[in-house]
Order: sequence, then structure tokens, then C-alpha cells
Amino acid sequence: MDNRGTVLIVDDVEINRLILKEMFDESYNIIEASGGAEAVSIINNNKNVSAVLLDLLMPDVNGIDVLKTMNKNGKIKNIPVFLITAADDQEILLEAFGLGAVDVIMKPFIAQFLKCRIGNIIELYKYRRKLESVVKEQTKRLNELMHSTVEVLATAIEFRDCESGEHVKRICVLTEELMTEVSNMYPEYYLPPEEIDKIVASAVLHDVGKIAIPDSILNKPGRLTKEEFEIMKQHTVKGCELLSSIPAIMDQEVYSYGYDICRHHHERWDGKGYPDGLAGDEISIWAQVVAVADVYDALTSPRVYKAAFSSEKAKDMIFGGECGTFNPKIMKAFANIMERH
Amino acid sequence: MDFLDELKELGVDTDKALKSLAGKTSLYEKLVKKFPGMVNDYPVSPDFSDDEINDVIEKTHALKGVAGNLAITPLYNGYSDIVQFLREGKPEQAKEALKSLLPVQEDIVNCIERH
Repeated sequence: MDNRGTVLIVDDVEINRLILKEMFDESYNIIEASGGAEAVSIINNNKNVSAVLLDLLMPDVNGIDVLKTMNKNGKIKNIPVFLITAADDQEILLEAFGLGAVDVIMKPFIAQFLKCRIGNIIELYKYRRKLESVVKEQTKRLNELMHSTVEVLATAIEFRDCESGEHVKRICVLTEELMTEVSNMYPEYYLPPEEIDKIVASAVLHDVGKIAIPDSILNKPGRLTKEEFEIMKQHTVKGCELLSSIPAIMDQEVYSYGYDICRHHHERWDGKGYPDGLAGDEISIWAQVVAVADVYDALTSPRVYKAAFSSEKAKDMIFGGECGTFNPKIMKAFANIMERH
Repeated sequence: MDFLDELKELGVDTDKALKSLAGKTSLYEKLVKKFPGMVNDYPVSPDFSDDEINDVIEKTHALKGVAGNLAITPLYNGYSDIVQFLREGKPEQAKEALKSLLPVQEDIVNCIERH
């Protein structure tokens, strides 16, 4: 098989297939099917089909059945289907068009017209596929660029915070694990995997507002004074201000999740967190999950003001309420994860 | 007499058929010689019962399509009428039309088979 397109001719009458084959043999590879079932099998198993010339009235599996199958498996989006018919039953033709057929070829055929019409559509579909592929590649590159920019932003603040940059990565890993567990355990918190991916990508931004906090407070080795803590708390709001000023560097959904996580990852279930004092499910589930991941990682990592706690100690502190109150359902999910570790 | 001239005498529009096949006479002859086989594969008789109407529609519809593609005009026109009668619920008129058409078809098939 060469790199020419492939035309599938579906007709139960051999003479009709031979006539069509003769018309297209020079320009395309030809595959023949004498019935609808054979056609469906070829379409499903051959990636190179550029067009289908489909007889409508065939015994057993007819042309309409083939179109219905192509709708179910999505093949109709990429393969133009031309109806071949001697029937002028408008209802059947309309049904076929409704199922995605691109044109009708009335028998008897007129070769030159047929070659032009089908050739043009095949070229159009080829061009469309090429464009879609270019757009997909560019979107992928744009997304990669966006993720890199977001990660650079997040990592930069980590370094300023005298962290290695690993905190951001660990938060992402734990957020993904915990979010997935919560989503699987509780139908009311269910999120599809692609949404969880976006939440994870957004979680890196949770502390971006620390860029606005003075070094003397951010890296103070000892306990913060009440005034200093008030300034430190502003990193949630400052982060949102920062994101608002550069929304174009990320897609809308990552921006929305990022904004929410940035602002609310210090809220607590009992309403005693900051900056807005939200309580219960007023706090989005993703902000609640990032909050637990952030606290756990902060406890188990060394900071300028403390040594790293063991995992056991960190768990005891979280479950004991020493780091504020969390959603009991998230705590159950967190316990499951800790058991598996 | 030449094969295509004989067909023309029987009403087959060979010029039109050749035009649609880019003038390829040998191809047309090859295709038209398959027509008797198709007539055998799609047998239709004027004494069909009401239960057989759908089957007759399928067969006459297929014969109509091929006759059209091969420019066998008398059969194309005849089968077009028969399909139309059957779809309009006029089986008796279809039977009459088929009775008239079958001898025409026989002549054409005999001509093809002679060559």
C-alpha cells in the first residue's frame, strides 16, 4: 500500500463496484466491500481510509446502519461518506445526511463529475486533518509553555523562601493522590481525572503571594510576632492580586483553580482560617485538599524556624487538630493514603 | 455485426456508457458481459406474491442501478417504472410492466451471451 489515499467502495453489486473502482484506481488505493458488515470491519481496522462510497440499499447491514456505526465510533468525523443510490427517497437521504454523509451520488454515475466531487472533498478533509494536527501541536506547546511559566513562578518563590523548590513538587504529588482518593470515596466530591490534573497544575501556585512578603518575615528563624503574622497572612490575598495581573499566562481553568487555591488554602473547616473565614464546604474541595497537603509537607520538611517532624508526628498533629480543623471526609481519605505509604 | 452496434440496435446507449467510462471500450465490454450473471443472481418473476414485494423491490432496484450505469436504457427505464409502481403500492401495474420488460431483457442478455 503506497501513500495515496484509500477509497472504500461499498456496494452489494459487483458491477457497480467495478465501475467505481475503474474511476478511482488511478488516483487512490481501492478497497471493496460487498456489504455493510464488511465495510464496518474495514473502516474499524484500516486507518488509511480517505473516503467511503456507500450504497444505501443493501441486504442485511445497509448504508444507514453503516453510518450509524460510524457515528457511534466517531469515524464519521474524519472520513467523508458519499451515498451511492438510485433511490430518490428523500426521507432516507435526509436521514443519511443527518448521520453525517457529505454528498449523494445518483446512479447512473457520470465519471468525471464523480471524480471531481469526491477528489475535492477528500482534499478538503486532508487539509482539515492537517490543520487540526497543527492546532493540536501548537496547543500542546502553548500548554507546556504555560505550565513551565507557572512552575517557574512558583519555584522562584520557593527559593526565596529558602526552600529547594521540592516543596512545590511534593505538594503536587500529595494533592493529586488526596484529590483522587476524595473523589473516589465521596460522590459529592467526584471530579473527572482531567479536572484533577488541572487542580494539580494549579496547586503549584498556592504560595505565590509570598513574593510580596518581606524577607525579614518570610525567613525569620523564630516565631512571628502577631503583627508579623498578620503580614504573613496577606500572602493569600497578594497571590491573588499577582495572578489577576497576569491572567494571560495560563488558561482560564488553571487560573480559576489557582486563584481559588491561592486565596483559600489557609481557610479551615471550622471557619477559623484566613483570609475570608470561610467554613465547611464554603471552601472549595480543591482548596481544602491543598491545605492538608501543604500542612503535611510543611510539618515534615525542615524550615528556618523548625526541624522536620517525622511522618508519624505530623499525622498525629494533623489528626489532633494542632494545625486547625479539616473536613472529616478529607481526613478519612488522608488516613487511607497514609496507611498505604 | 459488431457487439456494441448490436447492443445499440437493442436500445443500449453505448455512446453514453463509453463517455462515462472515458472511452474505454474493452472495460465497457468487460462490465456489460457481467450483466447476464447479475440477472441470474437477481431473478424476478411477474408472479410474485404480496409477501415477496420487498424482495422484488430490492432486486429490481439493484437491476435498475446497474442498467443505468451500463446505459442499458430500456431496462433502466423499465425497472425504474417497476420500482416506482411497487413503492406506490401498485403491484399489479408492476407485474404488467415486468411481463413486458422480461422479453426485452432476454434479447439483451442473449446478445451479450453470444459475444
